[in-house]
Amino acid sequence: MNLRIILVTGANGGLGTAIARMFLEESPDNFVWLGVNNRRERAEKLAAENPGRCRLVPLEVTRPGAWQSAVAEILAAQGRVDVLVNNAGRHEDALLAQMAPETWSRVLAVNLDGVFHGCQTVMPAMISQRNGRIINVASLSALLAPPGQTNYAAAKAGVVALTQSLAKEVARIGITVNAVCPGYVDTGSLAGLDDEARRQALAKIPMRRFGRPEEVAAAVRFLACAEASYITGSVLKIDGGIF
Amino acid sequence: MSTSTELKGQIKRLLVENLMLQISPEEIGDDQPLFGPNGLGLDSVDALQLVVALDKNHGLKLSDAGVARKTLQTVNTIAAAIEGS
Repeated sequence: MNLRIILVTGANGGLGTAIARMFLEESPDNFVWLGVNNRRERAEKLAAENPGRCRLVPLEVTRPGAWQSAVAEILAAQGRVDVLVNNAGRHEDALLAQMAPETWSRVLAVNLDGVFHGCQTVMPAMISQRNGRIINVASLSALLAPPGQTNYAAAKAGVVALTQSLAKEVARIGITVNAVCPGYVDTGSLAGLDDEARRQALAKIPMRRFGRPEEVAAAVRFLACAEASYITGSVLKIDGGIF
Repeated sequence: MSTSTELKGQIKRLLVENLMLQISPEEIGDDQPLFGPNGLGLDSVDALQLVVALDKNHGLKLSDAGVARKTLQTVNTIAAAIEGS
């Protein structure tokens, strides 16, 4: 049996769990590594529901050493990495005039540096395989640059540019690199909105509803599938029609 | 066939197979520059693949960019680095 080895970062979050679950449901030949940091209860539940097909791996995405350890563990166990989904992210919104430099740095570190470290760490294996799929979870904020998100929007715009630049570097080696830009998706990150903020957000969405994590996960699954082999450097908006 | 000649043959095959060159291994000269218009015309992406392939097949570590640049000049310089590693 030829297993397809998939690593999803931020796998304890609402979107990460949905992405991992969708790969597990797609095929019994998919083996999913769940990259987790401090919180892991959802990932542990998913692993328990899928014995032998899913494992947790400690992965603080801002630390290059953590990436080296995680990818080394995967390669030692299974010899290859076929798909990397850089999903881990965080936002700490504030007006730039009031933003602490540490807040800027933390958001850049997780959302942009983490993607860089991840891509760099899996690259030797994917080059050696002459095959690989990288899907970076950016954000609609990368394209719309809303106020209060200078850090997050800059980081995610950086992810989009990194995606397109890396895609050109490795296209001839058989590695594709794509990004998805979710808009308002009903995960934990929307839970912090009060009723008025939710109403205002919904008013901006032509579909008049928030996206579901599974709707983003489906796009990620597609970009990782064999039929998407000629798609690279693409940026796919998943936002209910906002533009 | 000497060990060195055999090794150079392996390196030439590695170049052709990993970089999908449209020439045969025998057409590559031992001292032919790998990069630049007067050589094989490899570029930085080829170099990246070459570094990974040499590590995988010969255990040659070229993590330092300066060392990699010196090592990846010709088949002879690669062979010398493998024999010296």
